[in-house]
Order: sequence, then structure tokens, then C-alpha cells
Amino acid sequence: MIENQSIYLALSVVLFIIGAAGAVCRRNAIVVFMCIEIMLGGVSIAFVTFSRAHQSLDGIFMVLFVMAVAAAEAAVGLAIFVLMYRKHGSIDLDKFNLLKW
Amino acid sequence: MELVFLLICGGLAVISSLLVIFARSTLHSALWMVFSFFMVAVIYVLLHAQFLAMLQIIIYAGAIMMFIIFAVMMLNLRQERDAKVNTRISKVVGVGALIVLFLELMLVSLGQNLNAIQGPITDTLVATYGRVAVISNFLFADYLLPFEVVSILLTAGVIGAVVLAKRVK
Repeated sequence: MIENQSIYLALSVVLFIIGAAGAVCRRNAIVVFMCIEIMLGGVSIAFVTFSRAHQSLDGIFMVLFVMAVAAAEAAVGLAIFVLMYRKHGSIDLDKFNLLKW
Repeated sequence: MELVFLLICGGLAVISSLLVIFARSTLHSALWMVFSFFMVAVIYVLLHAQFLAMLQIIIYAGAIMMFIIFAVMMLNLRQERDAKVNTRISKVVGVGALIVLFLELMLVSLGQNLNAIQGPITDTLVATYGRVAVISNFLFADYLLPFEVVSILLTAGVIGAVVLAKRVK
């Protein structure tokens, strides 16, 4: 147990919830993408907190890998946004219901 | 002292994350996002993860946000209209689900005794060898396979992005 552990965990939960709310509410694909990054940041804070509390490095490696996956996700995701914009002239998520029946 | 820094930077992180959602312009959201990443980096420093804080600033605030701001500027986005929420039921259900998720996560993260097994990375070890030396020792021994898999993933991501964005003739 480290000091202020509950504050760190509460902060991570609050960031995660803010990211989830934004990902649900906003319709601009890029803003939704950034909200997902906020959620990843919140989870990363929880990982680092537990890593420090348990004197272990596993949480830090998890955050490292999350960062690498987020970078790959940004590259592919933004390429998809550019394609969507080229095809439809906007990246409004409500207009992209190709898979909806 | 640590508590003061934690409260200030945590509060700023929460406020700037809220501004990411509420900013009307996508570019303003992106800039608030950079600020939020810096605040999260400060929190990593408070948790004695200085290496991660540096990586957070270089990768997130540097590389990923540069990608996003490039995309925002290239796409010439029009102002987003107000979200059309059809019924009051969907509003109530959405807010209710978020509140339930919030309470549930708070309960799980704060409600139990988290004094688990103590690992080998004590503060004296870190003070002797330095944080980055300890991390690299583990990264290139125990975590070598995940490390290599991540490098393959990054290569695949770059190739995928080029293939997707290439204009078909």
C-alpha cells in the first residue's frame, strides 16, 4: 500500500469514465479516437499505481505495450479516417452504418 | 507535498479531459488532449515511473498527437452539428449505465484490501541500479518475446496505414 493509493485509483476511474462518456456522446470520429486514448490513460495510471504498490515492474511493461499498441492504432485508425473522408466527405460516425441492419 | 501535486495535476487532468469532450472545434480538443497527456505524465512521475513519463510525453504528446493534428488539418472538418438523441429513454439509459459503471469501478478499485505479494523491485534496488537499468534488465530478459511481438505489430501497423491510405489508380 502506498500513500494516496486510493486517490490515484479514483483518478484513473474518473478518467476512464470521462473517456467512455465522450466515446459514446461525440460523433466526430477523431474526437472519439481521442476519448479512447483518455480511457487508455486512465487504465495506465491504475497499472502504474499497482506496479508501485506491489514493488513489481509488470504494470510498467503493460503500459509500455499499451503505448506501442496505441501508436499502431493511431497510424491505422487515422488512415481509415482519411479513407472515410475521401469516400463520403465527412467523418461523422452516424453516417457510417455500413454494418448495421 | 506529493498530495498537493497529485490533487492539482489530477484535477487539471480531469478538467482538460472534460474539455476534450466539450470543445466544439476538433483542433481545440486535440490541444486539450496534449495538456491532459502532460498532466498524466506528471502523475507517472509522482508514482516514481519517470521513464514512463518521458515516454508518455515523447510518444503520446509528441508522436500520436502530431498524427491526430495532421489528420484534423488535412480533413477540413465542418462544425459538427448537435448530436441527435432520439428519445429521452436513450439519454436516461446512457447516463444510468455510465453511473453504474462508475460506481462499480470505484467499488472494485477502492473497496478491497490491495496488500498483495510484494515483488522484488524495492526502492533500495532502484536506488542502486537506477530505474532505467532495472527496467531494461527485465524488458530484455523476461519480456523479450512480448517486446519482439510488439515490434512486429508496429511494422504491420505502418504497412497497413500505407496500404490503406494509398490512392487506388
